[in-house]
Amino acid sequence: MADTKTKPQWLKVTYDQTKVDRMNHLLDGLQLNTVCAEANCPNLGDCFGSGTASFMIMGPNCTRACRFCDVPHGKTAPIDLLEPLRVAQATQKLGLKHVVVTSVDRDDLPDLGATQFVNVIKEIRRLNPNTSIEVLTPDFQGRTELLDQVIAAKPDVFNHNMETVRSLTPKVRSRATYDTSLKVLQYVKAHAPKTTFVKTGIMLGLGETDPEVYQLMDDLRAIDVDFLTIGQYVQPSKKHYQLREWVPMARYQAYYQVAMAKGFKFVASSPLVRSSYKAKEELEAVDGK
Amino acid sequence: MLKEVHMPKLSPKSDEYFFGSWLKEPGDTVKTGDILFEVETDKVISEVQSQEDGVLKEQKVAEGDSTKVGDLVATIEVN
Repeated sequence: MADTKTKPQWLKVTYDQTKVDRMNHLLDGLQLNTVCAEANCPNLGDCFGSGTASFMIMGPNCTRACRFCDVPHGKTAPIDLLEPLRVAQATQKLGLKHVVVTSVDRDDLPDLGATQFVNVIKEIRRLNPNTSIEVLTPDFQGRTELLDQVIAAKPDVFNHNMETVRSLTPKVRSRATYDTSLKVLQYVKAHAPKTTFVKTGIMLGLGETDPEVYQLMDDLRAIDVDFLTIGQYVQPSKKHYQLREWVPMARYQAYYQVAMAKGFKFVASSPLVRSSYKAKEELEAVDGK
Repeated sequence: MLKEVHMPKLSPKSDEYFFGSWLKEPGDTVKTGDILFEVETDKVISEVQSQEDGVLKEQKVAEGDSTKVGDLVATIEVN
């Protein structure tokens, strides 16, 4: 196996304490979770430094224990009816032109959290009519009546992550299958308004092969997924899924070329790319906003 | 006036980092925004910027040390 102990030079980020402190101070008063902090995102300094964040609703604890993820698995909290308003107010306070809302998995709830997504979208739009909204959702166990609810709220971007190739999905994800996630994306693409872009993302460095990645791209293009993000997996701790490889930059570039040739509207492929990283710029690139 | 530089909290989930390398030596002029040093956290290598204009007076941490959030890392002579 390749050396995975030494971090490559491209895994380098700049940290401006003053700007990050200012953002933390703003967020502290809002009683909201960000996936930036909960997942210990390597881009936190960059995003907080430039005044953006991605909200993680219905958390901080998740009902699933995916082996790649740093979000804690544990006892869930009751749904907070004021959370939608607080997310909307935070969007306003931060002056976000594009907001990303994700969540923990809530398999404990009868609606798996779909209603809270809808309420958050509605509140953001009520207070921020010019802000574009991106949701990054769980698989809702593939239940189409729940997907219908979220689709009806008309997010600008509907993201659901495949996370990895077919063969590695059972090893990396918990209670999620490759086919359920594909079905979610297919259903959303087929039933959402044409104004909603459908997006997914994967991690590299888990042991996937080129043919498997290309097959995944083909599976996504067959159902007309619009955006694809590809980034490097960084193992959160020794307990998590073992990193197999720091994928060389050349392979990210090769995947970008192939994915664009296969017809995605937008592809972000680089080690530090995460689902919501530079999401605003992504939407602007295809939407002319 | 002498200003102290302390290790910032670079990762939401850990407070102890591996000190990578210095990019400024004692006697060097530093400006706000200049990279002072690199630290390896659990997920990334962070380049930490100076928050002051002045001259780096003293390095209090050596490359390869384990450092904690709040540790005194350096002093900067500020005009």
